Amino acid sequence: MPDTVPQNAGFMIAAYTAAAVILVGYAVLLYRRSLKP
Amino acid sequence: MKLLKTGRWITAVGLALLAGVYVRALAFTPVERFQGPAQKIFYVHVPAAWCAMLAMGLVGIGGILYLLLKDPRFDRFGEASAEVGTAFSMVMLTTGPIWAKPIWGTWWTWDARLTLTLFLFLLFLGYLLLRGAVTDPGLRARYSAVVGICGLVLLPFIHLSVYFFRTLHPEPIVLKPSAPSLPGPMLITLLFSFGVFTLLYVGFVVQRYALAELREQAEAAHA
Repeated sequence: MPDTVPQNAGFMIAAYTAAAVILVGYAVLLYRRSLKP
Repeated sequence: MKLLKTGRWITAVGLALLAGVYVRALAFTPVERFQGPAQKIFYVHVPAAWCAMLAMGLVGIGGILYLLLKDPRFDRFGEASAEVGTAFSMVMLTTGPIWAKPIWGTWWTWDARLTLTLFLFLLFLGYLLLRGAVTDPGLRARYSAVVGICGLVLLPFIHLSVYFFRTLHPEPIVLKPSAPSLPGPMLITLLFSFGVFTLLYVGFVVQRYALAELREQAEAAHA
């Protein structure tokens, strides 16, 4: 068992941000496509 | 148009619940003591991988049904599912290396699981490129169906690759014959995330299917 928990929250934040950008970005892309005549 | 609005609503609910997944995962799920906070990437990486594989599986099943029944709705569904699967593959292939770096010490390694998931992503891209390159609708649907079926065949190899080959990637902890080996709060967060990602998949596919239908109607009106 490690004495201290690894301090790597930056990676977690980066991954969560990347996932949100891709999923929200795709949702926006679909919405914009639906507005085109 | 009704289908498009339904898809939008499902997507909106899915995105709102995704925020709930983030809150639950970041604030109400314990930190794993060996991996630290980076382990929480698990709650977006695994459901994204599930959705990518679900998408390809359904593209393949749609392809089989198209070849059997020649119903263009299955081809349209395959097109929609492939594009949505590409988005989820991107999430899987982005979050995976970000998780791997602090835990394995490397962003990427060419082992069986990682290489096969990259191949899945490339197959999605190939499927979409093929659809863009073939103009005849009948040929396009037939060729696409064959690529989709190839993708469906690939899925068991991806899932079982961690058993067949020596790999850094861990074995499944939920989708396996025995009970999930995960503490209760972590399992609840994971299952919640699975549900939300699947809902997002449904919302995206419904929207994308409706857009394809509208495009075909417009093309038919111009012809």
